[in-house]
Amino acid sequence: MSIVQNNDSPLLSVENLSVDFSTEAGCVRAVDDVSFQVRPGQTLGIVGESGCGKSVTSLAIMGLLPHPAGRIAAGAVRLRLDGPDSVDLAGLPERRMRRLRGAELSMIFQEPMTALNPVFTVGSQMVDILARHERLSRRQARDRAIEMLARVGIPLPQKRIDEYPHELSGGMRQRVMIAMALSCRPGLLIADEPTTALDVTTQAQVLEQIVELQREMGMAVILITHDLGVIAETCDEALVMYCGRVVEQAPVDALFRAPRHRYTQGLIEAIPRIRRRRLERLPVIPGMVPDLSALPPGCRFSARCGHASDRCRAEQPALESHGASRVACFHPADPT
Amino acid sequence: MSIRPPDMNPGADAALEPAAPPRRTPAKSLWGRALQRFAGDRAAMAGLFIVAVFFVIAVGVWLGWWGTQWSQTGAGQWLGPSTEHWFGTTILGQDIFQRAIFSTRTAFEIGLVVALASTVLGALFGALSGYFAQTFIDGVILWIKGVLDSIPFYLFVAAVAFALKGNPWAMHIAMIATFWTTTARLVRGEVIKLKNLEFVEAARALGLHPLVIIVRHIVPNTFHILLVQATIVFVAAIKSEVILSFLGLGIADGVSWGLMIAESTTEVMAGHYMNFIVASSFLFVLVMGFNLFSDGLQDALDPKRASR
Amino acid sequence: MELLQYTLRKLIGGVPLILGVTLVSFTLMVYFGPDQTYELLSKNPTEAEIAELRSQLGYDQPFWLRYGNYLSELARLEFGYSDSTGERVSSILLRTIPISLALLAPGFVLGNVLAIVLGLIAAWHRSGWIDKAIMGFAVVGMSISFLVVIIAFQVLFGVVLGWFPVRGWNVHNLPSYLHYVTVPTLASVFVALGYNTRFFRAVLVEEMGRDHVRTARAFGASALAILWKNVLMNAMIPIITRVMFSIPLVVISGSLLIESYFGIPGVGKVTYDAITSGDQPILKAVVGLTAVLFVFILIINDILYKLVDPRVSLK
Repeated sequence: MSIVQNNDSPLLSVENLSVDFSTEAGCVRAVDDVSFQVRPGQTLGIVGESGCGKSVTSLAIMGLLPHPAGRIAAGAVRLRLDGPDSVDLAGLPERRMRRLRGAELSMIFQEPMTALNPVFTVGSQMVDILARHERLSRRQARDRAIEMLARVGIPLPQKRIDEYPHELSGGMRQRVMIAMALSCRPGLLIADEPTTALDVTTQAQVLEQIVELQREMGMAVILITHDLGVIAETCDEALVMYCGRVVEQAPVDALFRAPRHRYTQGLIEAIPRIRRRRLERLPVIPGMVPDLSALPPGCRFSARCGHASDRCRAEQPALESHGASRVACFHPADPT
Repeated sequence: MSIRPPDMNPGADAALEPAAPPRRTPAKSLWGRALQRFAGDRAAMAGLFIVAVFFVIAVGVWLGWWGTQWSQTGAGQWLGPSTEHWFGTTILGQDIFQRAIFSTRTAFEIGLVVALASTVLGALFGALSGYFAQTFIDGVILWIKGVLDSIPFYLFVAAVAFALKGNPWAMHIAMIATFWTTTARLVRGEVIKLKNLEFVEAARALGLHPLVIIVRHIVPNTFHILLVQATIVFVAAIKSEVILSFLGLGIADGVSWGLMIAESTTEVMAGHYMNFIVASSFLFVLVMGFNLFSDGLQDALDPKRASR
Repeated sequence: MELLQYTLRKLIGGVPLILGVTLVSFTLMVYFGPDQTYELLSKNPTEAEIAELRSQLGYDQPFWLRYGNYLSELARLEFGYSDSTGERVSSILLRTIPISLALLAPGFVLGNVLAIVLGLIAAWHRSGWIDKAIMGFAVVGMSISFLVVIIAFQVLFGVVLGWFPVRGWNVHNLPSYLHYVTVPTLASVFVALGYNTRFFRAVLVEEMGRDHVRTARAFGASALAILWKNVLMNAMIPIITRVMFSIPLVVISGSLLIESYFGIPGVGKVTYDAITSGDQPILKAVVGLTAVLFVFILIINDILYKLVDPRVSLK
C-alpha cells in the first residue's frame, strides 16, 4: 500500500474494522470496514462530523467500547510491541489489554471538566497510573508525576499536584490529562477532540504542547477532530470519515491542495478564510447526515453530492489508491 | 459519544427521500410511547395480569359473589386441605381460602384509599410548594414534610391510632399523613422545572389565578409521577397493614392478610402452617405483581431509567 | 472554627424541626393520648379525688401551657419516672438503648454493606445476566413482608432446626450474644437487602457512566480499582444520606417490630408499651431524643459530605 513509503513498519494497523451498536432502533454499524496504519512518530488526523464513527474507532482501538451495546463485529487492530511481533487488540483478553492501556497506548478525551476523578487529587490519580505500569514506589511515582506536570507546562507543579481537579482551570486539567497519558511513555497517543472544549487561546497552547511532546518523546499520535484547521496545523496525514466509512485518506498538504472526495471538498470550502475581503456566504454541504439505521444502498454521501450518478446511488464505492491518496468515490475530483 | 448526534432528528431521513412515504409515525405523546414500551415489557405485563386477577377477586367480594363465609366457624379446628375447605381451616374452624379471598378486598380498600388520598395530598402540596418555591408557603410545607419525615413511622401510626381511640380509619389516616411527603417532594421538583416553561408563563401573562394555573396546567403535567407514586404507595400501604395488624393497630373489623398472619403466629409454633402460608403467599404475589407493574410503568415513562 | 460555626448554625436551624416534632408528638401522644385518671385512682373515686388528680397530672391546663411545660422538661432532660413501673426514665433508656443497638447494629451494617457490594456487582455487569439475577432477587426481597420473614425464620431456625432460641434476650457473653442475635439479624438483613440493593445499584450505575470512569479504564485501572475509586467514592453522598437517615427509623421502627416479636426488652418494646399504656414520661423522652437525633444526623451528614467530597464546602 502506498501510504507506507519508508522502511518503518507500522506501529498500529487497523484492518477492516467494523463496529456494531445495538440501539433501541435495532443494530447499527457505527464503523464499517475501516483500515489505516500509523507509523511510529507519525501524526494521523481523523476528521469528520459528529456521529461519523471517528470516536467509536478510537474507542474500539482502546478496547473501551461501551459494554454491552457496542462490539467489534469484524477486523483486526494490530499493535506492534517490542520487536517484530504484533498483537491483535481486538481479540486480546481484558487482563492483557489492561496492561497495555496507559502504558503502550494512551488516550486523552474531550471533556477536561469531567474526565478526571473529582474526589482524588491530581497527584494521587497520576501516582496510581505510574505505580500500576512502571512498578515505581509511591515516592518515586510522585517525583515522576511532578516532573511530567512541569513538562506539560503547569506552573508550580509541586503545589498543583496536591490540588483537586475542580481547583484547576479547563486548560490546566487538559494539561494534567496529557501528563497522565504520557507519564508511562506510550508508543501511541489517541487524542479525541483534545481542544474542542477549551477556549481559543488555550486550544492553541494545548495543541502546541502535544506537538512538542510528540517530538521529544517520539510517539505516534492519532488526533481525532471535527476541525480541519487543527488537522492542517498538526498532522502528517489525514483520514476523512463519513457515516462510519473512510471516504478519503491523504497526506495533509495534498488533502488541502487538491481534495479528491466531494465530501472533503465541501468540508474544506466550508472553512472560513480571513484573507477574503468580501464577506460571502460560506458554502455549505446541502442536506443532512443520514441516520445510521437507514443508510442508502449506494454511496452514503450520494444524497448530498452534486456529482452523484445512478451508480453512486446503487453501488458503494471502494477505497482505491490514487497516488499517495486513497479515495472512495466513483467521480473523484481531478488532482490539480 | 453517540451513534445519533443530536442534529439528526427522526424527520431527517425522510427529507432525504421526499418521494417515499414517511417510515416513522410522527412523534407520539409521552403516554402513547409509554404504552407501547409497557406492552413490550414482559415482566410489567405479568405484573399487570397479577394485579388484574386480584382486582377481579376483590370486585367479586364487593359484589358478594364469593368470600362470603369468611367468618363462619362451623367446621372442625385445623382441618387439612379438602374439596370442601381448599386450604383447610383455622384454629376456630374458619375456612382459610374464604378468608384469604375476602382479605383481597381489604387489601384493595386500604391500598386504594391510601394511594388515592396521599397522591392527591402530595400533588396539591407539592404543586403549591413548587409554584411558590422559596416563599413562605413553600417554607411551611417543607417544614411540615420535614417534621412528618422525622417521626418514626410505626411510632406515629401507633400514636395516631391511640389518639383517635378506635376510629376505624386511624390506620389509613396515619399512613396518608406519612406517605404523601415523598410524592410532594417529587412533584415540587417537577413543578419548579415546569414553572419556567412557556405555556405556564403564557398562562401567567394572561393573568390567570395561580390556583387555576396549578390545577389546570401544572398538575396534569405531573401525572406520570403521580401514577408511579400511587403504585408505590399502594404497595407500601398493604405491606404496612400487615405489620400494623400484628401490632394490634390494623383494621377494626373484617379480616386481612395481616390479621391472618397475626393469628397464625401461635399456630405455626404448634405446627399448623396453612393459615400462615396462604396469607403470606396471597400477600407476596399481589405485592410482587404490583412491584413489577410499578417498575414497568417507571421504565416506560422514563426510557433513560430503563436503559441504565 | 469553621466547623464549630457551622455546627452552631445548623443547630439553630434545627430548632423549628425539633419544635415541630415535639408539637406533633405532644398533640397526639399527650394531649389526645390515653387518659390516666381512672387507672391511677382507686375504685369508686369521689369527684374531688378525680379533680385533684387531674390537676396533678396537668389535665386541667390549656394546651399551650401544657406544651410549654412539656418542652421545658425536655430541654432540661428532666424525664421523670415511668408511670407504669415507677422506674427513672433515664435509667430505663440507659438499660434498653444498648440492648436495641446490640440487637440491630449487625443487621443494619450487614444489610447496607452487602447491598452496596451487590449493587456494585450489578452495576458493573449492568444489563447482563448477573445484574438481572441480582435485581430479580431484589424485587422478590422487596415483595416479602418483614413479618413473614421474621415468622418464617423463627419457625425454620427455632422450631424446625432448633438451632437458635425463639424468644428472649439472655445475653452475658459473646457466644450467648451470637446465639440470640443471629435470627433477628438474618431477618433484618433479608428484608433490607431488596430495597437497599436497588437503591445503591441505581446510584452506582449513574456513577458508572461518568467520563472519569472511562478515563480510568483508558489508563489501565483494574475493575476493582475503578469500582472503589471512581464509582463508590463518587457515590458516597447519596449512600451516606440514605444510611444516615435510615438510622433513626431503624432504631425505632425496626426495633419495635423485632423486639415485640422476639420478646426482647429494648427501647422499641418499651416505647410501644408506653404508647399503649399512655406512659407519658417515656414517650416524651423517646420522641424528644429522636427529634434531637435527627438534627444531629443532619449535621453529621453534612460534615461527612465534606469528608468524602472535596468540592463540598460547609458555608
